[in-house]
Amino acid sequence: MTARKPKFVYVTYIASTVDKVFEALTDASISRQFWFGFHVESDWKPGSPFALKRGDTTMDSGVVLLCEPPHRLSYTWHPEYESMRHERPSRVLFELEQLKGHVKGQVKLTVTHDDFDDDSKVFESISGGWPLVLSSLKSMLETGSALEPTFSEEDIRKIEAICTQ
Amino acid sequence: MSKPSFVYVTYIQTTPEAVWNALRDPEMTKDYWGRHRNVSDWTTGSAWRHEDYDDASLVRIAGTVLESNPPHRLVLTWASPEKKDDPAKRSRVTFDIEPFMGEVRLTVTHEDLDDEMLRGVSAGWPAILSSLKTLLETGKAMPMTQKRWPGKS
Repeated sequence: MTARKPKFVYVTYIASTVDKVFEALTDASISRQFWFGFHVESDWKPGSPFALKRGDTTMDSGVVLLCEPPHRLSYTWHPEYESMRHERPSRVLFELEQLKGHVKGQVKLTVTHDDFDDDSKVFESISGGWPLVLSSLKSMLETGSALEPTFSEEDIRKIEAICTQ
Repeated sequence: MSKPSFVYVTYIQTTPEAVWNALRDPEMTKDYWGRHRNVSDWTTGSAWRHEDYDDASLVRIAGTVLESNPPHRLVLTWASPEKKDDPAKRSRVTFDIEPFMGEVRLTVTHEDLDDEMLRGVSAGWPAILSSLKTLLETGKAMPMTQKRWPGKS
């Protein structure tokens, strides 16, 4: 019997081109539009540093493992948050496929995030995060406007409660 | 050992009511759900079926409405009509529709699958739900879901 390691896989279909989706995943100013104010930063050469930043603050850091525009992109993922920074880096892989025939004009985007230790807190966090980020990416590319969550007073109270724990 | 399940979460710029209606409106399902429609009176305990939009005699999936709480939660049993009396081939689908910071979070949970069913629904739900999101946000579903699935009709 083999133990099943945590692995997150998410598939979304986007009415766009692989070039536009790849650009959105690798361009700082475009990523900021759909990634809720976060942006990616890297020269995207294998072995180069990767960072997900909010302003000047690095939220997640990593190393570029693979960059094959416009079909494959992979980097390691290490949160810099106090509660998660003790975990070793995990790995993200984006695979982009331009659909053909009557379904042309659509991209199948598969995001695989794996290489976690068992009971990883980062795994729980990214499992909640990727569907939101990728839903926002799809909206931005299809409608021109990303998701813009509006915080109600109740939402703010919930966030404050988490931060003061 | 528990049977496999599949969970998919998507966020949509719309209202819970619009998502709830989209699950039942044949003019919408035909475009985002492979030219099929869902038929029921949608009350708890009633039968429901997923049938071809153009030929109601072609029923693909049949089951029972286990819970119906518009516009937030719909729970269905799910089976091929010829296998619906075989408990091993009967699964369950839950649609949870929640307001989320001005958007809607739609969570589809498909449980009690076997490995073959898991493969099928893992390929199907992302396509259907991506197209549903596109339809609700742009008014037009994605081309890939406007025709019947290959090999099924």
